[in-house]
Amino acid sequence: MTARNLAQPFPVVTPDTDAMDAAQAMAGRHWPGLIVCNDDGRPYTILPGSEVLRFLIPTYVQDDPVLARALGEEASDELCRKLVHRTVRDLLAKPQDLDDLPVVDADATSLEVAAVMAHMHSPLVAVVDEHDGNRVIGAITVNRLLDHLLPPHPAQA
Amino acid sequence: MIEVLVVAVFVAAYVLIATERIHRVAAALSGAAAMVLLGVVDARVAFFSEKTGVDWNVIFLLLGMMVIVSVLKQTGVFEYVAIWAAKRTRGRPFATMVMLVVITAVASALLDNVTTVLLIAPVTLLVCDRLSLPPVPFLIAEALASNIGGTATLIGDPPNIIIASRAGLTFNDFAANLAPIVIVLIVVFIGLCRVLFRSAFTYDPERVAALMALDEREVIKDRPLLLRSAIVLVAVMIGFVAHSALHIEPSMVALLGAGALVALSRLDPPEFLEEVEWPTLVFFMGLFIMVGALVEVGVIGRLGGLLTAAVGDRYLLASSVLLGGSALLSGIVDNIPYVATMTPLVQTMVDAGHATALWWALALGADLGGNATAVGASANVVVIGIAARAGHPITFWQFTKYGSVVAAVTIAVRRLYLFLRYYAFG
Repeated sequence: MTARNLAQPFPVVTPDTDAMDAAQAMAGRHWPGLIVCNDDGRPYTILPGSEVLRFLIPTYVQDDPVLARALGEEASDELCRKLVHRTVRDLLAKPQDLDDLPVVDADATSLEVAAVMAHMHSPLVAVVDEHDGNRVIGAITVNRLLDHLLPPHPAQA
Repeated sequence: MIEVLVVAVFVAAYVLIATERIHRVAAALSGAAAMVLLGVVDARVAFFSEKTGVDWNVIFLLLGMMVIVSVLKQTGVFEYVAIWAAKRTRGRPFATMVMLVVITAVASALLDNVTTVLLIAPVTLLVCDRLSLPPVPFLIAEALASNIGGTATLIGDPPNIIIASRAGLTFNDFAANLAPIVIVLIVVFIGLCRVLFRSAFTYDPERVAALMALDEREVIKDRPLLLRSAIVLVAVMIGFVAHSALHIEPSMVALLGAGALVALSRLDPPEFLEEVEWPTLVFFMGLFIMVGALVEVGVIGRLGGLLTAAVGDRYLLASSVLLGGSALLSGIVDNIPYVATMTPLVQTMVDAGHATALWWALALGADLGGNATAVGASANVVVIGIAARAGHPITFWQFTKYGSVVAAVTIAVRRLYLFLRYYAFG
């Protein structure tokens, strides 16, 4: 099966999309990440959920996670307010070249998709059509790919 | 001819270490290998000679303390103390800085400086975040305080460990000769902080509640481990204080303490070895072999003789030049290779009748000189890295602006101390 067959319609955002809207969309619909496209519709990067967390959690807590215990649960509201008046661009680690993105061509095999996902540590791969100016035609999540690669569970068989 | 070659290899390795053109471990090991190839050093000299070989007391004292720190780090005690102390200040910025500076200085006297700032910096960022204070002045103050505090004891800074081992000085010698001046320096430093960082002390009563909401008890991860670690740490400190009376080397005290903590903590090797800096230990070994080669071919002996003759009986001048020169050089290059090279030279002068004050001049100069510039001490570099990652970059000149003032003032105080203690009333 090719990436074209595995790809599902997937919403895209731009670097200028409101960060809170993007994060809430990700959380509300259980998406592992979002595809970030340029204005011309070509993929710019993938924004995984972990990158949103990296933005929200102060580096001093990432360096010394035990400090999160001192902060307590009530601090989470305050941390999430960091998304207000921010854009997706603020959440992105750094601009990437197209070659460094978890992006596959529509003709890629499922194992090629798995290899890109594993290599890039990405829960999401964007599928582009090389014959149509690298336009995004959908995305493949890790769940969708594993569902295809793994044999059916005996209970479901 | 062989002397010229040995000196050339030594200088080349030193330049590589100072300029960081290649990793300092590679430079030291290459220099040591060259000494072996020149036929100056063999296995007997490198591994078994007390005067010219690897100083295993230094290596194993460092290793033991690194294991102890690895276990202590697992307890969360450093975070607990820092948060508890900050809360006692009720959010008053200068009082908070004083607390953090004192904690850093005391911890640095017992642990290595880099570990101390690695532990204290995240808590500092948390406290400043809660109080909406600019963290940069606090982080710079802590780096400077760790270099000052580390000077106080034999185990506080690697140069002190080298000096103690080579000079045969005890833990109590360091405590008696350096701890008093370090206490004075910390008081002077706190006064300087009040002036240098005055713009950072903006009190916002509305932010105090955010600080007071922190629960320091939550950061203690393993209370039984904390209790066992505290008992072992106290025993280790008693061992250091009594090591000369017990006829046991500090390295053995540290290793016994590390072994006890490993046995009692039941941590896995990756956890109790987490803080062991293997590259640093190997760097020391390479350095000892290179300096040992200089001693073997007689270069150090002749240089020491020349210095002794040049200084004559002007002991105060010798101490002052050693103090100032060490401070200047340590602000530019790594103080570990500097002290490793200087110890046999100073030993020659002390053997020729100079006062042991020269050892304290070397320690004070080398330990505290690192405050002068942003790259003068490892703790400075680590703090700058942490600040940059947290989105609060500290430029070289920003750090150096404060560090050079602190270094200049503390050098003046140290010189006065040396004069009064060892020459005027000594």
